[in-house]
Amino acid sequence: MERFKPSQDFPLWAGPNVLVVLCVLLFATLGVRLWYLQVVKGDVYHDKAQENRIRQRVLYAPRGVIRDALGTLVAENVPAYAVAVVREECPDINATLDQIAWWTGEDRQWLQKSFEQGKRRTKSFEEQVVVPNIPFEVVARIESERHHWPGVSVVVRPKRFYPTGSLLAHVLGYVARANDKELAQDPELLLGDNVGKLGVELALERRLRGRKGLEEFEVDATGRELGSHRLYDPVAGEDLHLALQLPLQRAGVRALAGKAGAVVVLDADTGHVLAMVSSPSYDPNEFVTGISQERWNALIDDPLHPMQNRPIQSAYPPGSVFKLVMAGAGLSTGAITPSTTVYCNGKYSVGNREYRCWRRGGHGKVDLRKSIRESCDVYYYALGERLGADAISDFARRCGLGEVTGVDLPHERSGLVPSPAWKQERFGRKWVGGDTINMSIGQGYVVTTPVQIARLVAALVNGGRVLRPLLLASDMPEEQGRLPMSDATRRLITDAMVAVVQEEGGTARVVARPGIRVGAKTGTAQVVKLMERYEKKETQEIPYKYRDHAWLAAFAEKDGRRYALVAFVEHGGHGGSEAGPVVGAMLDALFGLGEAP
Amino acid sequence: MMDRRLFSHVPWGLLVALALLFGIGAVNLYSASSLRLEDGLGVESYFRKQLVWGALGAGVFVAGVVVHYRHLKALAWPAYGLGVLLLLGVRFLGKTVYGAQRWLDLGPLHLQPTELVKVAIIIVVAKILSRMGGSLGWRELAKVVAVALVPAALIAKQPDLGSALNILLIVGGMIVFKGVRPAVFKTLAVGIPVLAPFGWFFLKEYQKQRILVFLDPTADPRGAGYHIIQSQIAIGSGGFWGKGFLRGTQSQLRFLPEKHTDFAFAVLGEEWGFVGSIFVLSVFCCFLYQIYLVTVEAKDDFGRCLAAGVFFYFFWQILINMGMVLGIMPVVGIPLPFLSYGGSSLLVNFCMVALVVNVAMRRFMFKR
Repeated sequence: MERFKPSQDFPLWAGPNVLVVLCVLLFATLGVRLWYLQVVKGDVYHDKAQENRIRQRVLYAPRGVIRDALGTLVAENVPAYAVAVVREECPDINATLDQIAWWTGEDRQWLQKSFEQGKRRTKSFEEQVVVPNIPFEVVARIESERHHWPGVSVVVRPKRFYPTGSLLAHVLGYVARANDKELAQDPELLLGDNVGKLGVELALERRLRGRKGLEEFEVDATGRELGSHRLYDPVAGEDLHLALQLPLQRAGVRALAGKAGAVVVLDADTGHVLAMVSSPSYDPNEFVTGISQERWNALIDDPLHPMQNRPIQSAYPPGSVFKLVMAGAGLSTGAITPSTTVYCNGKYSVGNREYRCWRRGGHGKVDLRKSIRESCDVYYYALGERLGADAISDFARRCGLGEVTGVDLPHERSGLVPSPAWKQERFGRKWVGGDTINMSIGQGYVVTTPVQIARLVAALVNGGRVLRPLLLASDMPEEQGRLPMSDATRRLITDAMVAVVQEEGGTARVVARPGIRVGAKTGTAQVVKLMERYEKKETQEIPYKYRDHAWLAAFAEKDGRRYALVAFVEHGGHGGSEAGPVVGAMLDALFGLGEAP
Repeated sequence: MMDRRLFSHVPWGLLVALALLFGIGAVNLYSASSLRLEDGLGVESYFRKQLVWGALGAGVFVAGVVVHYRHLKALAWPAYGLGVLLLLGVRFLGKTVYGAQRWLDLGPLHLQPTELVKVAIIIVVAKILSRMGGSLGWRELAKVVAVALVPAALIAKQPDLGSALNILLIVGGMIVFKGVRPAVFKTLAVGIPVLAPFGWFFLKEYQKQRILVFLDPTADPRGAGYHIIQSQIAIGSGGFWGKGFLRGTQSQLRFLPEKHTDFAFAVLGEEWGFVGSIFVLSVFCCFLYQIYLVTVEAKDDFGRCLAAGVFFYFFWQILINMGMVLGIMPVVGIPLPFLSYGGSSLLVNFCMVALVVNVAMRRFMFKR
């Protein structure tokens, strides 16, 4: 029998020694590795494990719908279909994209580009939309063949639809895909979200959008869902009711057909906007699905500027409409009384310059009532000189001119009420007498928007309250200030406005309606200082771009209800003849006269 | 007849370690096989089966302890012959699972001859080595290597490169244990590392792939690198204290593949953390140390070589499996003793431990 050999007979690399050495090495190597993975890198791997199994899904909230005052839907949500892929589930992404191109008829190259772009912004195992809009026939085709193509799905998302098309485009605005800037500024937005870009959709975006919900779900290694729980429920956007009346709006659009202009109708006692027309218009639905570059260029290059929201953005000299402010200022400061008269012989001299009245032969002896009824310029030249530029400017501002009305629409322009200080600041030149003369008849630097004029007229008939124009029926009247004039003064002015409509010589007799108390003031805003050669010509003979803008500011009262109506026709020529019929049409619609709309 | 003296030399430490490892393995398997989803096999089925195999293993263990190990010398060559025959049988009659022929279908029992061959080889090599006095020269070395190469080649052909390598490593370990002459040692120490790269040409494509992916797991994160990445995430995310029993998200949600077999340790690492992992590693080390003690105290060369063979059997499996799970060795299909599910493997493990206990209990017989 062999004898046991003591271990010291062996070199270190042989015999029982080797077993101990290996034991120590094993323990040390594996132990160090465990320490590294679990203690040193434990947090890193913990995060990786979380990413592995927890995924989140956004639950979209439906956008609030918008109705008019009579309950008709003017902005709603309809289902839209899109093709989406989950990259990780597609066995061969190129073959899948080929198939999608075949289904949808999209260009393969475009599809590849769209896919590559979206890839960077979607997480793994997340649905990535590759074709955003597909018609229902294509949906049906895909659905019937989809089981051959793992990873492909048809996603249904609500799409904004404006059933009235261009009728309300400037009020509603539209929604479209959020751009990079909007995404960066608003953490609530996700890639592919639609946001309000213009109009009420933009101004009241927060209320319409609602709040997205978030769902967390666990997945296994194959991406299969194992159960979920909601972190937040989605909150639907608020449904909004406009004060706007579609039949009235339609009448305004019809009256302005073929013209560039604006109509605003306010409830004079509440400030609610009953109609707000900007002509020409565009179809907001084009923007929802993504407008083409050519179409966009066509809209932008159109000489009539259909994208301009004229009721709030067209700031033009108010012309003779401004005489309402002048009259108020004159009476309130005591510069004139109702019986103060000025003799108009057709011209008025300031220094060495001569200013004409629009009626070359003159109006003869003119008092306040006649000055408004017949819109005598000389009367206001004299009044302007007596008041001084600063007083006029100050008074006009207190009437709410030169500042935004705060209507719930984006990009409203403030208009401008000039003053000597303003001119010095702006141009570095002194205010001269001629500037005062110009301002007195609403020309020169003073510019106003139709909605400002509407607010002013409303205040004249509602007891002097300057009200914020309200688009939503649910909004309560909001007094922004008071006209700086007494009840008596306002009554004198409004009575004179009625004379403009009712009496012989009035400039707005076209808007007279039996049984309704209608008052108005016409205005003609000069585009360029009329050149001699156009002075005697009829409107039709003057090139379009040199024609004057026509204004008509009116109020109507019946059965205790009062309305303010403003029509503005770009390059329309004379206020009474061009803007008058527009206001007339609105009155017919408002009071159910003439043909039913 | 059993001698009462036998009981005074029972290596209790080894038995405690064995019991601990089996217990840990069973508990871990319970977690690894409790799936949240409907799967082919029902919840806990691996756990129950493992217990049944454990009971069978206990029987094998008792049988392996009762008969004096010197009788194994006589059985060595017949067992070796039978093993080679079975391997040839697998080659022609075997059941193909996962693209590899490794199992013999014997009615209800699926026999994996590879595992039995490991036992036979250890016995045969121990017998050969014990007959050679002193250190091995080239001729002795060639004889031992030839004995190992025949079954290893057959197993490699199945293909089961892991097990073939395992056999060569076990025999290599036993040779080193026995000791070779310095000249031989020096030649091999230089020659093997130089010649090893040529082995590359004998590898199958997927085996090359595994090695390449081991070098850079991120190269193919959804394919071959997936195992390595997911296993490291599972273990690493366990952190210091672990996520708790049955709470390992990576394993429970099946991000971890083959978690009840080759990657069982990853489940343990995830649920019990660094503390649990080090504990299990320590138990393995104690277990190996107990085997070492038996080799030191064995009274004959055959017994010593036998125990050393068993030592290397376990050593390589632990090192390769844990190294693979921890991402420091390529992925080859080698189970972790007592923790990986597998009937044949468990039976052989019990058998192996029985050999060592057998040697330890009978050391008094050679007392002077």
